[in-house]
Amino acid sequence: MTNDLMLLMPLIIVGAGAILLMIASTYGKWTNELAAYGSAGVFALAFLVQLSSCISGNVSLFADAFNGILVVSNFSKAAGLIILACGFFTAFSSLSYFKQNNFCTAEYYSLTTFAASGMLLLTMAQELISVFIALEIMSLAIYILVGYDRKNVISTEAVLKYLMLGAFAGSFFTMGSAFVYGAAGSTKFIKIGQFLATHGMLQSPAMIGGAFFILVALLFKAAAFPFHAWVVDVYDGASVPVTGYMATGLKTAIFAVFANFLILDDSLHKGWITYLFYISVLTMFVGNLIAIGQQSLKRMLAASGIVHSGYLLIALVAIGTKDFSGSVIAFYLAAYAASTLGIFTALSYLGGAGESRKTFDDFKGLAQSRPYSAAAISIFLLSMAGIPPTAGFMGKFYIITSAIDAGQVTLAVLGIVSSIISMWYYLRLIITMYFHEAEEQFSEPAPSSLAPICTFVLVVCVFAMSLYPLAV
Amino acid sequence: MFEHVLSIIIFLPILAGLVLLASPASRTVARFTGLVISLATLVLSLDLYAGFQSTGHLEFVEKISWIPSLGITYFLGVDGISLFILMAGSVLLPLVYLIFGTKEKGYYANLLIVQGAMAGAVCAADMVLFYIFWEVMLLPVFFMLGLYGGTQRLPATLKITLYTIAGSLLMLAAIVYLGVSYHAQFNEWNFAMDKMAQLNLTGRIAALAFFGFMIAFAIKIPLFPFHTWLPDAYTEAPTAATFVLSAVMAKIGVYGVIRFVVPVFDIEFARFAIILAYSGVIGMMYCGLAAITQKDFKRMLAFSSASHMGVIALGVFCMNLQALTGSIYQIVAHATSTGVLFLFAGILEERTQTRTIEDLGGIAAKAPVFALFFAIAMLASVGLPGTSGFIGEFMIVLGAVKFNAVVGVLAGTTLIIGVCYMLWMFQRVFFEKPTVHSENFKDLTLVEGLAFLPVILLIIVMGIYPHPFLSKITPSTALQFTQPSPIVAQVPASNAQNFGLTIEQK
Repeated sequence: MTNDLMLLMPLIIVGAGAILLMIASTYGKWTNELAAYGSAGVFALAFLVQLSSCISGNVSLFADAFNGILVVSNFSKAAGLIILACGFFTAFSSLSYFKQNNFCTAEYYSLTTFAASGMLLLTMAQELISVFIALEIMSLAIYILVGYDRKNVISTEAVLKYLMLGAFAGSFFTMGSAFVYGAAGSTKFIKIGQFLATHGMLQSPAMIGGAFFILVALLFKAAAFPFHAWVVDVYDGASVPVTGYMATGLKTAIFAVFANFLILDDSLHKGWITYLFYISVLTMFVGNLIAIGQQSLKRMLAASGIVHSGYLLIALVAIGTKDFSGSVIAFYLAAYAASTLGIFTALSYLGGAGESRKTFDDFKGLAQSRPYSAAAISIFLLSMAGIPPTAGFMGKFYIITSAIDAGQVTLAVLGIVSSIISMWYYLRLIITMYFHEAEEQFSEPAPSSLAPICTFVLVVCVFAMSLYPLAV
Repeated sequence: MFEHVLSIIIFLPILAGLVLLASPASRTVARFTGLVISLATLVLSLDLYAGFQSTGHLEFVEKISWIPSLGITYFLGVDGISLFILMAGSVLLPLVYLIFGTKEKGYYANLLIVQGAMAGAVCAADMVLFYIFWEVMLLPVFFMLGLYGGTQRLPATLKITLYTIAGSLLMLAAIVYLGVSYHAQFNEWNFAMDKMAQLNLTGRIAALAFFGFMIAFAIKIPLFPFHTWLPDAYTEAPTAATFVLSAVMAKIGVYGVIRFVVPVFDIEFARFAIILAYSGVIGMMYCGLAAITQKDFKRMLAFSSASHMGVIALGVFCMNLQALTGSIYQIVAHATSTGVLFLFAGILEERTQTRTIEDLGGIAAKAPVFALFFAIAMLASVGLPGTSGFIGEFMIVLGAVKFNAVVGVLAGTTLIIGVCYMLWMFQRVFFEKPTVHSENFKDLTLVEGLAFLPVILLIIVMGIYPHPFLSKITPSTALQFTQPSPIVAQVPASNAQNFGLTIEQK
C-alpha cells in the first residue's frame, strides 16, 4: 500500500493540488497571482517528489499499482518530470501573459493542474479504460483552456474545432478498446500482450480493428498526418501559454502512452510499422509545407510542432530494439519541450497587449531593443532546428542513431531532409529579429520579471541537456 | 606549458566571445579583448608548434568520456595535418583586430567564437565532437554576414547557411551510420575517428554515406559544382568573415576529406577519385575563367580563392604522398596569400569606398609599401617560385601527373589562368593613372605594416626553405597510406587508367 502511494505521490499531489486550487478560487481573496504561485508550487513539489524517486532508483518491490492498472517505469517517470516542468513554466508564463490580457480567472490555474494530473495518469496507465479516463481528464481541461478567451472569435472557433474532433477521437478510442476487449478478453496491457504473443495480431479481425481505432485516436492527439488539420487553427486560437502547454505537456503524455501501447508485443509493432513509417514521413513533410507558408509566428510554431511529432514517430518506428527503449523518446521530448516552452514563455511577455504582435514582421529588429530576449529565442529556434550544441541536436542525434540502428536508414535520411527544409522557417525568424531594422521599439516594460527569468532558466536547460545528457 | 593546451586554445576565444556578446562592452574594449585573446591563443599555438614531435600520430591528446552509453568522448589531438590548419588560424586572426579598428562589438565577438570553433573542428578526434564544432563555426559567420555585410547580404546569408547546413546534416546521417556500423561489427559503441578505419564497409549504403561526407566537405571547400554560394557570400561578407571563410574554414573542408573520407571509405574513394579529381580541375578552370571577367575585385578574389581551393582539393584526390603533402603545404600557403589578399582588399575598400577595379588606379605610386606587400601575397597566390605557393602547387601537380597524366597536365596548365587575372588586376589597380577614388590613398600605417610583416616573411621563408614545415607534415601524411587497407590493394586502378595501384602502398 505504501509502495503504491509512493509511486503515485506526484499524481496525488497534482490531483489534490488541482482540487484545492479549484476550491480556493471560489474565495474573493484568492487572486489570480496567488493562484499562479499556488499552481507553480504544486508543480514544483510534485516535480521534486518525482525527482527524488528517480534519483533513489527502484527501491520499491513492485512497479505496478492497483493490480497492474498503473505501471511506473523509468520512462513514465521521465515523462512525468517533463510534464511537471511544463506545468511549472506554464504557470509563470501565464502569470506574465495575463498582465497584458485580462480574461483570466483563478480557475485557469486549477485547470492547468487538472490537465497535468490527466497527463501524469496517462503516462502510467497500462489499461485501456484508465487510458481513456486519463485522456478525457486531460482533454476536458484543455478544451476549456483553449476557449478561455470567450469573447474572442478565433478562440471560440478553435475550441469548437478541437472539441468536435477530440470527441470523435475519444469515441474512436472507446470503440477500439471495446474491439480489443472482445478479442483479448481483457483491457489490461499485459493480458493483451499475452494474447498477441500466442495468437498474433493478424489472426483476429477484432484485434486488427481495435488496434486501428486506438491508433487513430492516438495519432489524432499526437497531431500526426492525416489527423493534423486541427493543429494550426487550435494552436493559433488558444492563448500563448496554453498553446505552449499543449505543444509540450500534452504531446509528452500522448507519446508516452503511444510508446507504451506499441511495445505491448512485437507482432503489434511489426504489424503497424509500415504504416507508421509512411505516417511519420508524411507528418514531417506536410508539417514542413504548412510551416513554410505561415506569416503568423504561432501558426508556424504549431506547424513545426507537427514536424516534431513526425520525428517522434521515427523514434516510435525504431522502438523495440533493445538498446534504446523509451530514453530516446523521453530525451527528445524533454529537448523539444524545453525549447518550445522557452519560445512560448518569451512570447508571453513579448506578445504585447491582446497578443498584438503575431506575425514575423512584428518582431523585426527585436535584437536591437531586446538583445537578450532575441538571443534566447534564437537559441530555442536553433535547438528546434537541431543545431549543436543545443539539446535539440542531441535529441535528433539519438533519434537518427536509433533509426539507423533499427535498420531504418531511409527514414533517418528523410528525417534529415525534413530538418534541412525546416531550417528555412527557423532561420527566417532569426533573420527577422537580427537583420532587419526595427519598426517599433518594444519599449513597454516587461509585465513581470518571472517570465524572463523562466526563459533564461530554459536557455540553461537547453544547453545543459546537450552538454550533460543524463537521460540516455 | 599547460596540460590541456588544446582545450584552452578552443574555449578561451569562445568564452571570451560569449562574454563580450552578453556584456555591454564598448567597441574599443571589444577590440582590445579580441586582440589580447587572439594573441594569447597565438602564443599557446606557437608553444604547441614548438612542442610538436612530428610522430605522425595524434599528439597533445585529451580524452574524457562524455556520453558513455554511445561511446562518445571528448577527444582532442593534433597531428601533422591538423596542426597547420590550426596554426594558420592562430597566426592570421590577430591581424584582423590590428587592422580593422572601428567595427561593432558583435563583429569582434563573433570573430573570437569562430576562431575557437574552427580550432575545435580541427582538433576534434571524435566524430560527434567534430560535427558539433563544424556546425558551431557556421553560426558566427551567419551573424557576421547578416549583420555587417554589404547591401545584398540577406540572400547571400541565406544561401551560404542553407547550403552548408544541408550538407552538414547529410554528414550527420553518415556519421551516425559509421557509429552504428562500428557497433554492429565490433559490438561496441564508438565514434572516435581513428577507430573508423578498421570498419569494413561495403554496399550501397556505404557509398551513400561516402557521398554524405563528400557533399558536406565539397560544399565547404567549395568544390565544383557546389561552389555557387561562394561568390555572393565572399563578396557580401565583411572583410573579416571573408577572410575567415577563405583562409581557414574552406581548409577544414579539405581537412575533413583527408580525415574521414580517405581512411574510412577507401574503396569508394578509390572508385570515385577520378571524378572528384576532374571536378577539382573543372572548378579550377571555371572559377579561374570567371575571375578574369570580374569587375569587382573582391568578387574576383572570391573566384580566385575558389579556383585555388580546387588545386588543394585535387591534391587530396590524387591519393599519393606527394600530392597530399603538397595539399597540406598549399593550405598554409593559400591561407597566408589569398587570405591576406582579402584583408588587403578590405583595406582598399575601406579607404577608397569602392570595389570596382575600373574606379582604381595608380595606387603603387601613392602607397609603395601596400603595393609591395600586395604584390608578394599575390605572387605567392599564383605560385611564383620562391614563394610558398610554388612548393605546394609543384608537389600537387607532381602527384597529379603520377595519378593521371591528363589531370596533371590540365592542372598544370590551369595555373596559368591564375597568373592572367591576378597580374591584369594588379596592373589596373596599382599602376595606370590615379582616379578620383585612389588619389588620396594612404599607405599602410606602421602598425599595419608591422602586423603584416611576419606573414609576408612567412610566405618567403616557406618558399625558400620548406624543409622544417614538410618534416612536420610528412609523417602524418605517410601514415595515411600505411593504414591497413587490404581491399584497396586488390582493386585494379581502372579509373586511373591502369597506372599501377590507385592508392600508393608502402
